[in-house]
Amino acid sequence: MSEVLSPDDFAATLRTIGEERYHHRHPFNQRMHAGELSQRALRSWVANRYYYQTRIPIKDGMILTKSPEAAFRREWVQRIHDHDGEQPGEGGLELWLRLAQAAGLERARVEAFEDVLPGVRRACDAYVDFVNSHDLLESVAASLTELFAGFIMHTRIAAFEKHYPWVNASGLDYFKSRTVKAPRDSHYGLAFVTQHAQTRNDQQRCAAALRRKCEILWSLLDAVERATSRPRLAGHALLRDEPDGSQVVVLSERAVRIAGSGGEILSLCNGERSGNDVALAMTERHPQALRCAEDAHDFLDEMAAAGALRFDPEPA
Amino acid sequence: MAPRPFNLIAELSYRCPLRCPYCSNPLNYAEVRETLDAEAWGQVMREASAMGVVHVGLTGGEPTVRTDLDEIVAAAADAQLFTHLVTSGMPIDPDGLGRLARAGLRSVQLSFQDSLATESDRIAGTACFERKLAIARATRELGLPLVVNVVLHRHNLARVREIIALARQLDAERLELANTQYHGWALENREGLLPSREQLDTAAKIVREERGRPGPEILYVLPDYFSNRPKPCMGGWGRKNIVVAPDGTVLPCQAAASLPGLEFWRVSGERDLAACWSQAPGMNRYRGESWMPEPCRSCEQRGRDFGGCRCQAFHLTGDAGATDPACELSPHHDRVVAARTECDLDPPLRPRGSTGN
Repeated sequence: MSEVLSPDDFAATLRTIGEERYHHRHPFNQRMHAGELSQRALRSWVANRYYYQTRIPIKDGMILTKSPEAAFRREWVQRIHDHDGEQPGEGGLELWLRLAQAAGLERARVEAFEDVLPGVRRACDAYVDFVNSHDLLESVAASLTELFAGFIMHTRIAAFEKHYPWVNASGLDYFKSRTVKAPRDSHYGLAFVTQHAQTRNDQQRCAAALRRKCEILWSLLDAVERATSRPRLAGHALLRDEPDGSQVVVLSERAVRIAGSGGEILSLCNGERSGNDVALAMTERHPQALRCAEDAHDFLDEMAAAGALRFDPEPA
Repeated sequence: MAPRPFNLIAELSYRCPLRCPYCSNPLNYAEVRETLDAEAWGQVMREASAMGVVHVGLTGGEPTVRTDLDEIVAAAADAQLFTHLVTSGMPIDPDGLGRLARAGLRSVQLSFQDSLATESDRIAGTACFERKLAIARATRELGLPLVVNVVLHRHNLARVREIIALARQLDAERLELANTQYHGWALENREGLLPSREQLDTAAKIVREERGRPGPEILYVLPDYFSNRPKPCMGGWGRKNIVVAPDGTVLPCQAAASLPGLEFWRVSGERDLAACWSQAPGMNRYRGESWMPEPCRSCEQRGRDFGGCRCQAFHLTGDAGATDPACELSPHHDRVVAARTECDLDPPLRPRGSTGN
C-alpha cells in the first residue's frame, strides 16, 4: 500500500481521477455540449464562470510565491501573463469578456460580478483558499485539471458553433486559445508533480489535491445548474406546518425546518420559475432587504443538499 | 416535561420470513403478541402526529407480513406523517408495493444481506435475493426513493465494493452500511460475526474511495466495539425517537424491553401515546442527565453521546445505568477490547428463531 508509484503509474492514477471526477461528466456541461441549454442558462454560466477566471491569476500569483526556483517561476509567471495580457485589452480575461459580449451580456455587469451566485463565489474562493493553505506540490497538483481542459474545449467549440449560433463566433477565441495553452501548461505541471512527488505520501497528497479541485469545479456547476433550472419540492417530500407557524420538510432520512423567509421562497418554487427567477421574485417582493437574492440562492442550495428539492432543466 | 419526539418507530410485527443471525428483535420475540389492529395503529399515528412526530418508520420484524398494511399506511399519511417502509423485500411483491404507494407510502428501505445472491440467501436463511431485486426495481419505477441497508460483519465485509456497486446499480438514493450492533441475536452470535480491525479499515478505505463517485450517499457506521467512544444511541433515551412494539408497548428503543426492572406502558383505551411517552417510569429512568454515573456525569461529551447505549451497558456489565463500555473512559472498557480478538474464532451462526443448541 505504501509503495511509491513509478512516475508513469502515478500519472495514470492522476488521469483516472480526472476521467472519473472532472466536470466533463457534470450534467450541466453534458447538456451544454448537447445543445440543451436555454439561452439564459448559457448566459448565466458565462457570467458566473468569469468569476472563476478572475481567481486564476490570483492563485497563480500565490503559487509563484511558494517556489524558490527561478526556472519554475519563469515558467509559471507566463500563466499570469496569459490571463491578464501584456497590456490592457489583451489576455484570457479579456477574451472571456468578449465571449460574454458575444453571448449578449453587458460587459460592465459581468466585470462587476453582478450576477455571480453565492455558491459559485464559495467554490472559487475555496480554490484560492486551498492554494493559500497548501504547499507548492499540492497547489500545482490542483491545477492539473488542465490535463482534461484541452479536449473539453474542442467539444465546447463544436457545441457552440452547432447549437448556439446566437453566440457570435468571435466570442469563441478564449476556448480556441485554451486548446493550445491548457495542454502546454498541464504538460509542465504534470512533469513537475511526477518529478517532485517522491514518496507515497507526496503522491497521495497530490491525488487528494486533484480530487479536491475536481470537487470545486463540480460544485461551481452545481450552483449554476440549480440557478438555471426549475426547483420544485421533491415528489416524496412532506411539507408540514409546525405549531409555531413555521414549516418543516420531511424526507426519508431527515427533516428540514423552514424558518424565516424560507416558506415564502419555497412557495415560489412552482416548477415554472428557475432558481434565478425565484431569487429575482424575492428581490422584487422585498426591495428593502439586503442580500435578498443571495439568501434565496443559499436557501435553494441548502434545500437541494438536503434532497428536498428537484430541479428540472429549463428547455432550450 | 418530556421532550418532543420527532420519529415514530412502528414495529408492526415481529414475524419475519428471514432468519438473519444478527436480528435486533428481542430474543423472546415469539412471545410478544400482536395486539394492535389497523384501527389501533391509526390511533397511534394520529396521537404521534399531535405530539409533534413528523416521520414514521414502518418496521418489524417484517412489516409486510401484515395484511392490513395498506390501511396503516393510509392512516399514517392522513395523519401528516412521512411514511417510510423498512422491509426485507418479502413477502411483499411489486403489486403490493404499488398499493402501498397509492395509500401514501413515501420511501422504502430495503435490506440486502450481501451482494452475492448465494451468500445473501444463506445469511437470510431463505431464498430472497431475486425478490429483493424486484422490489428495488418496483420502488424506483414508482418514483419512490430507495434506501439500501446492509448489515456488515466478518462474512460480507470483504465485498463492500460490490455492495456499493449493487446499490448504485439499483439507483439507491442512500446506502447504509451498518456494522452489526451487538444486541439481541447479534450478541448471541458475536463470536461468529465480529470482524477484525483490518477488515474494518479496508472497508472504510473503500468507502472513502467510492464516496467521491456519483451514486448513492453512503453511510458507514463503525461498530461500537472498535470506535472507543459510544454512539448517541437513539439520539438519547426517550428524547427524539418513540418505539411502539407489536403489543403496543411504548419504548425508547427497540431493545429496551430486554432490560429487567423497567416499567413501560402499553397504549390502550386508558393510556394514550403521550402518557406512555412522558410518564411511564421506564421512559423516565434514563432521560436527561441526572441518572448518569461518573465518568459520564462530568464528561463534556454527555450532551452529545448521552452516555451511550443502556442495553449494551446492561449486557456487558449487568448494570443498565453504567457508562457504555464502548467508551474508553468506562471502567469496563476492557470487556469490549477483549472481544475484539473474537474474530479469530469460527463458531457456527445461530439463525434467529432457533432455540437452544
